[in-house]
Amino acid sequence: MAATATFGDNPLFVLGHVISILRMVVLLSIWRMIGARHGMVGEMTLSAILTYTLIAKVFGGLLFFKTSFANELWNSAIVTRFLRPMPVFPQYVAEALAVWGTGFLLFRLPLLLLAPLLGVNPLPPHASAAAWFLLSLLLAVLVGAALELFFGSLVIAFGQGDYVVNNLRMALTILLSGAVIPLGVMPWGLDRVFAWLPFASMASAPLRIYTETGPPLPLIALQCGWCVVLWPLALWAWHAQRERLVTYGG
Amino acid sequence: MAGRIRQLFRLWRVQAYLDFLWMTRDARYFLICFICDTIINIGTVTAMLLVAARFDGIGPWTRDQAFFMLGYGSVVRGVVNIFCGFNIFHISRRIGRGQLDHTLIIPQPLWLILLTEGFTPIQSSCSLIPGSALLCWSIPRLALNVTPGWVALFLLNLLASVLIMVAVAFLWGSIAFWAPRAAEEINTDVDGALEQIKVFPLDGLGPLLLGSFVTVFPIGLLAWYPSQALLGLRPAAGLLLTPLLAVAWVALAAFVFSRGLRHYVHTGSSRYSAYGHRS
Repeated sequence: MAATATFGDNPLFVLGHVISILRMVVLLSIWRMIGARHGMVGEMTLSAILTYTLIAKVFGGLLFFKTSFANELWNSAIVTRFLRPMPVFPQYVAEALAVWGTGFLLFRLPLLLLAPLLGVNPLPPHASAAAWFLLSLLLAVLVGAALELFFGSLVIAFGQGDYVVNNLRMALTILLSGAVIPLGVMPWGLDRVFAWLPFASMASAPLRIYTETGPPLPLIALQCGWCVVLWPLALWAWHAQRERLVTYGG
Repeated sequence: MAGRIRQLFRLWRVQAYLDFLWMTRDARYFLICFICDTIINIGTVTAMLLVAARFDGIGPWTRDQAFFMLGYGSVVRGVVNIFCGFNIFHISRRIGRGQLDHTLIIPQPLWLILLTEGFTPIQSSCSLIPGSALLCWSIPRLALNVTPGWVALFLLNLLASVLIMVAVAFLWGSIAFWAPRAAEEINTDVDGALEQIKVFPLDGLGPLLLGSFVTVFPIGLLAWYPSQALLGLRPAAGLLLTPLLAVAWVALAAFVFSRGLRHYVHTGSSRYSAYGHRS
């Protein structure tokens, strides 16, 4: 239902995907400019960072996991979710995966196949990297979903609607996850700090594994660690806040 | 005309007062919004800022020139936020939701309402902080001859970039006159594109895409091109390109918006049911 609603609710959804791909093309051009001047882009080869940027776009919806949970806390649509005979939050996760799947099949997969036309090698250096990547991607979604639930609970705790919390989370994620700018190209050794944060487990870890610019086992171990820490915290926050939820409808 | 201008300032003053009351009704709310919005606005440019710092510039831009461009783009956004709050910038929401009716029943000209109703100088003030700081930091480090003439051209280009940004939003947002449900959030997508791409130096793009970004979808006029012109990286005539194109964009947006409004006057909005729910 969520997948087909992509077409029914908003026939102009194509625009969002086109914009997203345009941004990637611009980012690729920036890496090429830097690569032409410096040879390497930070500690990454030009080829690796181009692949990193492409894969970040193709799997963007999973590496930057976002549901309509916080938004529906604000517009009250969450009320009807409580009436359904199933847990509330998994409904949002399922819908987000369906929406991502639609975009993946229609736009991201063709982009992956057409990547050589953009001068980008979409393949990982070795097949084993792809296998580790899939495991890491699964963990990335789990970390992202836990953060989604936690930040959603903050919307109720702050009582300020979803605007502030959502945008704050987005700003932090864009900067700290490595989904847009690889952490390895950050100055002043910031990458060594940011790499330990949960945001890095959402995007940087799987992308580094795919491009073989990071060791798989320690990165996956860190992702597992964040899952173990974040899920109990997120569930506690949600159970503590859900009874405080007041909605009017909007 | 003088009366209209007096009315304009009077309405801005009223809106500023209402905005002040809105933001200060709760100190906790004010602090949360102010701190979060500042972080969000810093976050928009930080990624490119860090890249420019790491590589001592990006492509043909030196580090300080890149900082200037990021500051310029951020200030453009700040000014838009200050004058176009409450979904004036996201005009497709007002049109698509049928909320334009609320505006049309006010006994003021539509242009005056659109120009004043979104004035939010308090709640949007933090969106000027990062851009202004970047400009203040970068300008003294650049070999710029800052004369009154240069400042005037800076302000002219800044105004032009702001007008282009708003014109693009209104042009795309006007689609909601004909497709209210489908295009209600079209300004969100367009805004996303403007925000995400305007902070990038576009020099590495091919001529077709670059040309499109200066004309058809003028993201390059929001920071990249005017910054180059102001920094002397373009011929002096380049300083007038953004203002001239701003006139063209405003005229085009006003034409399409007025056509859409004419359509709206005949059809109205069917988004609300008799008992107040939006479809």
